[in-house]
Amino acid sequence: MSDDPYSPLVREYFAAPAHAGNLADGVTAGIGAQGVRVALSGSESDGRIRALRFRAWGCPHLIAACECFCRRYEGQPVGSLVAFRAADIMQILPVPVEKTGRILVLEDAVRSLGQRFGGTSAPN
Amino acid sequence: MADEIIYLDYAATTPVDRRVAELMLECRETRFANPASNHRAGRESAATVDHASRQLAALLNVDPATLVWTSGATESDNLAIAGGARYRAHRGRHLVTMPTEHKAVTDVFRMLEKQGFEVTWLAPDSRGLLDPDDFARALRADTQLASIMYVNNETGVIQDIEAIGSICRERDVLFHVDAAQAAGKMSMDLGVMPVDLLSLTGHKFYGPKGIGALYIADRPGCRVEPILFGGGQQQRIRPGTLPTDLIAGLGFAAEIAASRMDEDMRHLEALRERLVAGIRDVAGLLVNGDAEGGFPGIVNVSVDDIEGESLLLAMDPVCVATGSACNSRVREPSYVLRALGRSDRLAESAIRFSFGRQTQCEDVEFAARRYCDAVARLRELAPEAA
Repeated sequence: MSDDPYSPLVREYFAAPAHAGNLADGVTAGIGAQGVRVALSGSESDGRIRALRFRAWGCPHLIAACECFCRRYEGQPVGSLVAFRAADIMQILPVPVEKTGRILVLEDAVRSLGQRFGGTSAPN
Repeated sequence: MADEIIYLDYAATTPVDRRVAELMLECRETRFANPASNHRAGRESAATVDHASRQLAALLNVDPATLVWTSGATESDNLAIAGGARYRAHRGRHLVTMPTEHKAVTDVFRMLEKQGFEVTWLAPDSRGLLDPDDFARALRADTQLASIMYVNNETGVIQDIEAIGSICRERDVLFHVDAAQAAGKMSMDLGVMPVDLLSLTGHKFYGPKGIGALYIADRPGCRVEPILFGGGQQQRIRPGTLPTDLIAGLGFAAEIAASRMDEDMRHLEALRERLVAGIRDVAGLLVNGDAEGGFPGIVNVSVDDIEGESLLLAMDPVCVATGSACNSRVREPSYVLRALGRSDRLAESAIRFSFGRQTQCEDVEFAARRYCDAVARLRELAPEAA
């Protein structure tokens, strides 16, 4: 199994994505590109992200990346969303480099969500 | 059961029959001598090879002398097509095949195109079937060789080999059949079938990997030029030291297959029926291939708007294939399904279930439930389409 294309973390997040779904009263952002689709919804309280949910159409790495993002960003300042970097998630899971384009779709969706919360643009 | 592997990828390869494995082990220990050696030990090995030739010949109803041992179906296909085309190149350089053939066939034709041969690629219908009338119309005065597979490795579609072969005989066209998925599973009497060259491999019918055979009919004009050089074995058609243990294994696997072919076929039919019953209510399900007339050991289905790689992982621990095994590490839509007119999206969602002797009804029922659950879960997970 040494050439298993999926790490244990990818398998875990793909098999049981606890944050799959959407928040009926949340802020939403969705993007479709690179042959995949990602939709995020989030709610905030006192400047912090209270809850996050996602829906995704794509490969297991994309679905795991969405779940990973939700787990890591709940409770974080809303402003952190616009600084989200797909590269960080790709390193944690990890995601093979040839799938970078798909994970960048998640990055665009996260930043879009951050802007809808009223966050500032990401620093260059 | 969930932690166990449910192996439903018999079209990729089959487990070696235990009796075959035991025979091969015995051969390695007691009949290891080179069958080309002219001493007692060598003659014993040669006798083992001769016995295996008779076993395989009995399966196909041919003369053992018409069989050439190879490393597998890929080499057999190469030898038949490249060797046959080159042997008859002085008569003409037009060849005929289909885009839905295995890569071991299509890539040889592409190589021949680069060498100045002209190839007509005949399109199948939406099920993958070739109309013999289309085939007849494609033949020209300079057509020398045609290659059409018996059972498609991705869809299980069975071509009308009798009709196509008869046309070839009438027009004096060398007819090659890639029977990798059919040999040892479907009854074929090459004593009466109009087939000139037929490729098979041991590991598709419970024999070992690394050994195959090419049947070359004993009739005028039916010859191949060698593609390997280096020795006088097998009438110089395919030189190289014969692997006695692998050949013995293939021969025995052929004998076993012949003894239980009807039983195996009934088993596969029952499994197919059960799988199809278990998944037929999935919305948007599309059978790739000939739903009623295809080989019962292969069921290939697609569904609308499901990502194939995620579907495959969600099916775990059910081992099935997307596309063909030879391509499964490359995530691209199956060229076979694209040739059937499937969209990239439908081709990407294709799953090939393939069964065998060890497959139990409960395995298939589990796989059907897993498939239904996976499709439902991935659809639930997907955002609305834009």
